[in-house]
Amino acid sequence: MLTKTKPRPFRKILIANRGEIALRIARACRELGIPSVAVYSDADRAAPHVLGAAEAYRLGPSPATESYLRGDLLLEIASRAGADAIHPGYGFLSENAGFAEACGKSGVKFIGPPASAMRALGSKTRARQAADKAGMPRTPGSTTALASVKEALKVADDIGYPVMLKASAGGGGKGMRAITRSEDLKSAFEAAQSEAERAFGSNEVYLEKLIEHPRHIEIQVLADEHGHCLYLGERECSVQRRHQKVIEEAPSAVVGDDLRRRMGEAAVRLAQSAGYTNAGTVEFLLDSEENFYFLEMNTRLQVEHPVTELITGLDLVHLQIRIAQGEPLPLTQQDVHLRGHAVECRVYAEDPDNGFFPSPGKITRLLQPGGPGIREDSGIYEGWTVPMDYDPMLSKLIAFAPTRETAIARMLRALDEYVIGGIRTNLALFRRILGDADFQAARIDTGYLDRLLAQGPATGAENSLEDRESVAAIAAAIFESQRTTAPTTAPQSVSAWKRAAREEGLSR
Amino acid sequence: MKLEIEIAGRIRTVEHTPGEPNVTVDGVPVAVEAQVLRPGLLSLVVAGRAWRVVLEEDANEPAIHLGGERIPYRVDDPRSLKARRARTTGADGPKAIKASMPGRVVRVLAQKGEAVKAHHGVVVIEAMKMQNELKSPKEGRVAELRVAPGDTVAAGDVLAVIE
Repeated sequence: MLTKTKPRPFRKILIANRGEIALRIARACRELGIPSVAVYSDADRAAPHVLGAAEAYRLGPSPATESYLRGDLLLEIASRAGADAIHPGYGFLSENAGFAEACGKSGVKFIGPPASAMRALGSKTRARQAADKAGMPRTPGSTTALASVKEALKVADDIGYPVMLKASAGGGGKGMRAITRSEDLKSAFEAAQSEAERAFGSNEVYLEKLIEHPRHIEIQVLADEHGHCLYLGERECSVQRRHQKVIEEAPSAVVGDDLRRRMGEAAVRLAQSAGYTNAGTVEFLLDSEENFYFLEMNTRLQVEHPVTELITGLDLVHLQIRIAQGEPLPLTQQDVHLRGHAVECRVYAEDPDNGFFPSPGKITRLLQPGGPGIREDSGIYEGWTVPMDYDPMLSKLIAFAPTRETAIARMLRALDEYVIGGIRTNLALFRRILGDADFQAARIDTGYLDRLLAQGPATGAENSLEDRESVAAIAAAIFESQRTTAPTTAPQSVSAWKRAAREEGLSR
Repeated sequence: MKLEIEIAGRIRTVEHTPGEPNVTVDGVPVAVEAQVLRPGLLSLVVAGRAWRVVLEEDANEPAIHLGGERIPYRVDDPRSLKARRARTTGADGPKAIKASMPGRVVRVLAQKGEAVKAHHGVVVIEAMKMQNELKSPKEGRVAELRVAPGDTVAAGDVLAVIE
């Protein structure tokens, strides 16, 4: 049951995270006039979230298991710093019911849902049971862990192939297998079980019907501690690689008012049935006939929350904090209006030309985009060394405009302005996707990006490439001549060149 | 000064005199106005088109950032013997396995002296929760193994040599 609390402003909030999201939360705290506390591992001593903090404490060595995942240390620091609330961000301990409980026991408010709601919705099989109770559509299949291959074969026969095996404790595509024929089920079942055991410490798997060419559509919900819950429209996250989101947008180009209302109301029913509070996201698959199926619920703030903020005009982190302080939601469903279109690119330190290998290291050059409709939630600076210990997200670039078409044009313009040097990034991949005719026509589903990448390197625009390559050759020659003619061989030529260049600039 | 710049597998010959407004690319003169804004940052006006050019220097290869695109290049001074020799080295000699990314060595799959087939995994490095298996470029024997599990490596570091 909901426990009603009297609104009481927080004295201080500890931010149990790093990177762009730690900065994002610190900014919200500052805007609300609440002091915040940063924590860091040894690898993050000079990280942007520490430099921007008024108060910062060392957690421990670089591995996350010895720092950002140490709930005991976080609570110790909270008590030392006098923080009466903890914002977990996303990842790390954000969906850890045990940590949420430990916070409660220490008298520190966990800014998120109660542990009971996290438990009810955290396991995928339990969430499927909750979906049934809330009367929301889900993919056909089992709602409990499969006891044996025999049971798996029976369920698969009942729902029909192709089917999907998934880990109950799953996430990030681990323990997932698509199966098209009954002959393949036995080996896939065993492989999925052992992969799930290794990744999540639980070998529970279940079966569901595979939806062909689905779109990934998710609904943002917000619930206060007084029984009010509302939905803030949808986000489309169909552009994925290996089940990881790459580009998100809001609203979806294919969701109309009626479908939005039906999905939104279903999401609210699920949240309320589990006693959910604070921000959460209900994920669905949408098939080509506009049938939607419950996928899972994420019981935290999502990476892609900015696209919802831009089209609703709301600040989700402000609202998370106000809800956790016991305030009632300051708006009703009728007050939620969607306006314009927002697109987000997840900028990663990875090399699309080399199997998407991670590329940590020193950022030697950083030129960031700006101008109308551009927001960047970044966690980097020029001269910083991106550590190898954490996930490769550097920044989120978000474009907002009245229409989808203009938002895409804005994003392409901003990508042209953006330079990150010293490490490889996936910036070029976004140019390719946003320039693709299928993406522009919103002909996307969760297999779209894999199909695009399978086509091999982008072709077309040969003329402009030829042009750019000549310019690059000229620029390279100028840079190289400055370098190779340095002191020993011809000390005069460098300064002569610079002087001449300056004079040319002045005479224009 | 004459330089050979290799971009996207194609060699361009660029000739220019510092301070002169004309540059020739593969023998064709182009009107160029250049201004160095700060080290590694250049404003170029080429035949009326303005470009902001950023130089990226890297352990492996330098690159030019131009209008949102990253263009790696290789430079050869035609007078340089070393560059000539590097280009003509055949496939028969010893081959180094280099780290393609910075990371930590998690496993070594072949020991020193061991015979390996082409594409046989030799060293596994990990960064940002992803593992990358580095394979032998050819059939041969592990002549040198320069790393052990737990070591931190930089991009371009030689991990092993196969002969």
